[in-house]
Amino acid sequence: MSRFKIGDRVTVRDIPPLFHTRTQGYTRGRTGTVVALRPEWVIPEDEAWGRYEGRREPFYIVRFNQRDLWPDYGGAALDTLETEFSERWLEPAS
Amino acid sequence: MSSTTHDDHAHPHPHPHAPIEEKGEAAEFAILEAAIRELSIAKGLFSAEDHRRFMEWYDKVGPTGGARMVARAWVDPAFKQRLLADGVTACKEIGVDWLQPTGSGTPSDYTYLITCENTPKVHNVIVCTLCSCYPRPLLGLSPAWYERPTYRRRVVRWPRQVLAEFGTIIPPDVEVRVHDSNQKTRYIVLPMRPAGTEGWSEEKLATIVTRDTMIGVALPSADWTVSSTPTHG
Repeated sequence: MSRFKIGDRVTVRDIPPLFHTRTQGYTRGRTGTVVALRPEWVIPEDEAWGRYEGRREPFYIVRFNQRDLWPDYGGAALDTLETEFSERWLEPAS
Repeated sequence: MSSTTHDDHAHPHPHPHAPIEEKGEAAEFAILEAAIRELSIAKGLFSAEDHRRFMEWYDKVGPTGGARMVARAWVDPAFKQRLLADGVTACKEIGVDWLQPTGSGTPSDYTYLITCENTPKVHNVIVCTLCSCYPRPLLGLSPAWYERPTYRRRVVRWPRQVLAEFGTIIPPDVEVRVHDSNQKTRYIVLPMRPAGTEGWSEEKLATIVTRDTMIGVALPSADWTVSSTPTHG
């Protein structure tokens, strides 16, 4: 059961980057919108250690406005970036 | 002819380049690959000849599958809908199987393709800031620049400037949407069919769909085909 749905505003958690996470530093603490739900799969934190039967979570594609990623973004205000996260990396935007 | 060898450098001709030699130690994964390959051959799982043939095949996959996919989507709206809904399944219709021969795609435990359709309002471009994730079954091996930090770091931060360096200027009223392939899904850009191609066959359309137009750093043009030869000036 997915915690978030398409259209939800979510913030990427800024937790210590221990080992392999696949969550880019530039997205930490940034807020975007869920645009697609992805199938449940083993999270990178487990798979990186060969734990293929590890913890499974839904994944989400989140769309950020570029100006929310980079405060001094010089391109057009409507420019965006999309990338994916496992559920543990997201929390409802406050 | 003297018996002088390269080793003593007594021969008279100049060397305009630095010696070509290995730098540094072999990477850990290169050692691991060699060890597993040699053990597999010793165990009889496959032969050295099988491996050589696979590598030869793998190196020549190229972007022709992607070009066929785009051309089909341009002429067949029903195919385009199937492609947008389920890329991996739709690719079989143009002869590209993401799961066979094994090894051409992402690990077969999780294989998804998302096609990013360019529109008059959205221009898509793909990158992998973590490494070099790329839709290999459709585009073959990625170009060297795609794997370099100068592209990966900058296209997420200054996408319009990076596109301009490729000669691609996106109007300010068109959204530039960057797709950072940080997980297992793979992405490819479906460019817009350019003007001047009215009435073209699917086969002819495929000739103008070059690799870079499917990464999103270029736009297809009716007067530029995959076999065109560049000239400067």
